[in-house]
Amino acid sequence: MDIFMVFTIITLIGLMLYSFQIISVRQYMRKKQTPLLDYFREYPPVSILKPLKGMDDNLFDNLASFCKLDYPKYEIIFALQDINDPAYKVVCKIKDRYPEKDIRIVTERCDVGLNPKINNLIPAYRQSKYELILISDSNVTVGSDYLKNMVSNMANSDVGLVCNLIRGLGGRSIGAILENLHLNTFILGSVCFLQRYLDIQCVIGKSMLMRKRDLEMIGGLTAFKDVLAEDFVIGREMKRCGKKVVVSDYMIHNVNEYWSLKRFLNRHTRWGKLRWKIGGYQYFSELLCNPIFMSLLAFSVATESRLFGGTFALLVACYKMMGDYYINRLLSKHQSQLSYINNACYKTKDNFYHYLFIPIKDVIVGLIWFVPLLSSKVVWRGNKYIICRDSAMKPYNNKTSRILNSLRMRFSEQH
Amino acid sequence: MLLCDFHIHTKFSDGSLDLRKTIDIFGQTGFDVIAITDHVVNGDHPIGKFAHRFKLSVTAKNFGEYIENIRYEAQRAWDKYEMLVIPGVEISKNYISSDKSAHLLIIDIKEFIPACMSIESILIEAKNQGALTVACHPHHTPDRMNKDTLFLWNNREKYCRYIDAWEIANRDDFFSVVAHKKFPYIASSDFHRASHIFSWKTLLNCQKDVVSVKQCIKTNKGVAITLFRN
Repeated sequence: MDIFMVFTIITLIGLMLYSFQIISVRQYMRKKQTPLLDYFREYPPVSILKPLKGMDDNLFDNLASFCKLDYPKYEIIFALQDINDPAYKVVCKIKDRYPEKDIRIVTERCDVGLNPKINNLIPAYRQSKYELILISDSNVTVGSDYLKNMVSNMANSDVGLVCNLIRGLGGRSIGAILENLHLNTFILGSVCFLQRYLDIQCVIGKSMLMRKRDLEMIGGLTAFKDVLAEDFVIGREMKRCGKKVVVSDYMIHNVNEYWSLKRFLNRHTRWGKLRWKIGGYQYFSELLCNPIFMSLLAFSVATESRLFGGTFALLVACYKMMGDYYINRLLSKHQSQLSYINNACYKTKDNFYHYLFIPIKDVIVGLIWFVPLLSSKVVWRGNKYIICRDSAMKPYNNKTSRILNSLRMRFSEQH
Repeated sequence: MLLCDFHIHTKFSDGSLDLRKTIDIFGQTGFDVIAITDHVVNGDHPIGKFAHRFKLSVTAKNFGEYIENIRYEAQRAWDKYEMLVIPGVEISKNYISSDKSAHLLIIDIKEFIPACMSIESILIEAKNQGALTVACHPHHTPDRMNKDTLFLWNNREKYCRYIDAWEIANRDDFFSVVAHKKFPYIASSDFHRASHIFSWKTLLNCQKDVVSVKQCIKTNKGVAITLFRN
């Protein structure tokens, strides 16, 4: 069998898996909603911890959405490492705007570990008052019934962690369009597929609800201070302790409007490295989930049947674009059923032209796929690390780079 | 301190974002005071005619609509973000020669001022309207893509009494000559697209209202600049 046929067969398997992803997303959307608890009796108070660093698109509205939650008793703790962080001004405005809410701003430098998010969270966690804690990233926006839904999933004491699926919205730049497409197709499809067919619950750290006693049982936040994928490791440790991890039926929104292409590449290279270090050889199965890239590989190695290879790649791209657009329609339909989305900003049109970028996005993602095999260096929030097995972090201390830097400095001094 | 940006363009001239989205970007980022300053280009030169032809300039015809839109959005910005939005324009006298070209911000403008008038007349008219005048990017910039606008700096002795402040920094550029001359200063982004938000900005130590802001810049007490980075 020649190599063209090998790539063609891989592409066909990929298309089949992709079809199952679409089915699993469809089933997720049709899932019966979690029954809510009795409003006045059963909702325990919650501490919402919001680690912040720098500006995110839509930051003011993201944070404000947590001040409009329809929930009996909760506190919000905004955690920053530095009073000079540009997000500090925004959280101060939010605090002034919602004086009736229990909001605190914690600015404390904490360097216990290498994971900046955990460093940011530790002082906030120490100050949190309630047993239930919700760790929520600053780049997500939610509706008023979000917390009720999350806590209702906790009614079962076997549940140790509740997280959410995310939907990317609002792309206006090429980087943001690619990011949202990737979140809404590959990430969403893969998470639903793993949950539906392999019973693997992927934890996405943008929103995680836990009990303090469960978190303490697995070592507290400090146990994850030196891992990059703290969300995945927390979920895994919860399961090891016999606790269930639940992906809520409530979808949260991640507004990405003005991302640069560089930021998109950096994030997905980092995430790829994480999956490689965590999943090991399972990482190779990801290529199956990129039929466009595989069909192009088939086309590139085709010698005699180039016309067939080209037509095949074109058909695969059309199928993938239509499939991704269908997922988008499912998401829009699901969203329109949710009463909380009143703000026009979150209402997205079905921008079909965005889906024309799908082949470009998949080719970029396909090329990025190789990077983790070659390098373990990640750049996150301006810091460089080396990631090891299970996403354990080590400070980046490359001898070659030090020598190059010193040469560069000498050179610049001379000129 | 109030975080301020007094040099912002929208789709009313050559900005890439519409007015509402521009205001939302600054609001979401926690700004306290901004001025919308779309170009008013001189129509007496082919460069200006080109700008008018492709609607890259506010004109006498659409000035009313421009101000009305800013006022409406200013109210929304105040209600939602407690951010003060001041209407303004950037008078843009563009010529082939950098020495003849001049760009001037008129902040808190009330009536249309055509850019084909003489600089002196424009400054006097702005003063009559009680507006604030700022000479923008007054010196050489390293960016070869942008043409220098040196007329005001070359004639600073003549015009400095009419000019309330000079841009000491614009987007990523810094004009140290303004500091050497000890002229009143502000720093701004010359915002045309979303990424320009991370640039030089002005900090003012005053009340958040138009009169106090203008007074603070004019007296140039309690003014600081910052390079706003993410």
